[in-house]
Amino acid sequence: MATLVQVENLRKAFGNVRALDGVSFRADAGEWIAIMGPSGSGKTTLINILGGLDTPTAGQAVVDGTDVARLDEAGLTRFRAEKIGFIFQQFHLVPYLTAVENVMLAQYFHSTPDEKEAQQSLERVGLGDRIEHLPAQLSGGEQQRVAVARALINHPKLILADEPTGNLDEANEDIVLSLLRELHAEGHTILMVTHAPSIGRLADRRIEFAHGRLVQAAAASLKPELA
Amino acid sequence: MFWRLVFQLLRGSRGRLTVAILAIVSGAAVISALLNLDLGVQNKLTQEFRALGANIVISPASGAPAQISGAEVPSLMPEHDVLEALQQLPSAQVSAAAPYLYIVARAQNIPVVVAGTWLDQLGKLDATWKLEGNWVASREDQSQCLVGRNVARRLRLAVGDPLELHYLDLSAHCSIAGIVDAGGAEDNQVFASLRAVQSLANLPSQISVAQLSVTGTAQIVADYAARLAATLPQYQVRPIRQVAEAEGALLGRIRLLIVSMVLLILILTALCVLGTMAALAMERRKDVGLMKSLGGSISRIVRIFLAEAGVLGAAGGLVGTILGAALAYWMGLRVFGTSISPRWEVFPATIALMIVVTLAGALPLRMLGDVKPTEILRGE
Repeated sequence: MATLVQVENLRKAFGNVRALDGVSFRADAGEWIAIMGPSGSGKTTLINILGGLDTPTAGQAVVDGTDVARLDEAGLTRFRAEKIGFIFQQFHLVPYLTAVENVMLAQYFHSTPDEKEAQQSLERVGLGDRIEHLPAQLSGGEQQRVAVARALINHPKLILADEPTGNLDEANEDIVLSLLRELHAEGHTILMVTHAPSIGRLADRRIEFAHGRLVQAAAASLKPELA
Repeated sequence: MFWRLVFQLLRGSRGRLTVAILAIVSGAAVISALLNLDLGVQNKLTQEFRALGANIVISPASGAPAQISGAEVPSLMPEHDVLEALQQLPSAQVSAAAPYLYIVARAQNIPVVVAGTWLDQLGKLDATWKLEGNWVASREDQSQCLVGRNVARRLRLAVGDPLELHYLDLSAHCSIAGIVDAGGAEDNQVFASLRAVQSLANLPSQISVAQLSVTGTAQIVADYAARLAATLPQYQVRPIRQVAEAEGALLGRIRLLIVSMVLLILILTALCVLGTMAALAMERRKDVGLMKSLGGSISRIVRIFLAEAGVLGAAGGLVGTILGAALAYWMGLRVFGTSISPRWEVFPATIALMIVVTLAGALPLRMLGDVKPTEILRGE
């Protein structure tokens, strides 16, 4: 399979703190990778850099042929709109927009909003009857499903999920995980941060962080390049 | 989607924006009222000042008095000189004009000032005059005359009474059509047909002065007087300065007051919007961080917020302008005793001012450009 994500000796420092300290790994297109590790180990920093929300201090982070480290502000903005789909732990929906409008917002920043397509995206995550609801009128699980629909609407190359089930009860966690399984089965590439080993085991492979370094890898297909 | 976003923003923040919209509506209402009053009162004042009487006087150049039939009379000028000059200038600005020949005749053996004039112009030259009886409709009517109220009282004259005037060895008769209450020197005069007085004094085609009432601002009156003076270089043409200057000074002061208040209100409105928008910008940091993470450029995001501010300014400006027009109408009746009609040019001007002020007040939204999505998404 073709490599979609190539990380080489990636470093990120916040003052004297090394959030990432020479991380290298690669992910093939269609892979589902679980990124695990204790709080402060650099998982979210890695996701932010790969998603173009932050820039590295040194090293390379190439996604679909684009080295994120070399992009300027405008380039990062386009990169996020075109190549990345984010799913956050806290859902992060715009409170005064309905479910369908939240999905259309991602379309608007990408290209042209298409309400019908946005509705279909919500129907796909089981929210066909919640299209005109505001986030405050939806449960946590439903809000996260809206976030999944929003992440998928622009057909991103890479889905970055940061603790996607961290704020959900067990029932809703199952719904969201089954959605991720579906996406994976359809060939989407997913990098997912999680604390839960049971969820990590659903991925094709797991990579573990500690103190900004990649310390352990598991699963047969693992291809770590420890710095 | 753009306008859908803008209106959802407005709906979602309506609580916070209520303060700003109230400020904009109030500001627009007061500005619209002031502008309507400024334009309306200017017109009304011009009309009011015109009603105070003639504002241009043409008289012979100062010189020695003329000797006529052994009697000494002030300098005179030929009537046709003045009429020709008036015909050469545009008549649209002249609301009334009349030549005057003043003599001192005797009535019931008492000396009385007699003004020979175009009687049909008297009521138009000075609209403040009160009249008991009737105006004389035709300037050619030599059978009727008007008398000042003091003359009427002294000579015990009433409307319809005959009046006999004597000048040297000539005499003239007229019937009193009306009694004038002018509140000035005119109350001591008799107003008769110009032709009749010219015959009585044996001064055919001679006049003492001519008076004109010109419509317009002090500047228009001065300009008209200057053109008239150029046409009549041998005579004195002078605007009656007290009226013109009083009008000019009053209008100038009113305008200065209104402009100052409009500026003050604009600043206060902008400050109020500024405060609201600063608070709103803080509230929206999270939304902006999220929009940035979804691939929204800051220019595109700020454009949404500026459009929201523009809609706010336009809507508030429109409502305020309508309220202001009503306020101006009410103030015109209550304060100035006259109706002030809404001026259409005030509407776009006020709405445009409100949009500009609201956009200026939305400057704090520029702070959103510094929002870092990673900080917002971390919950900082």
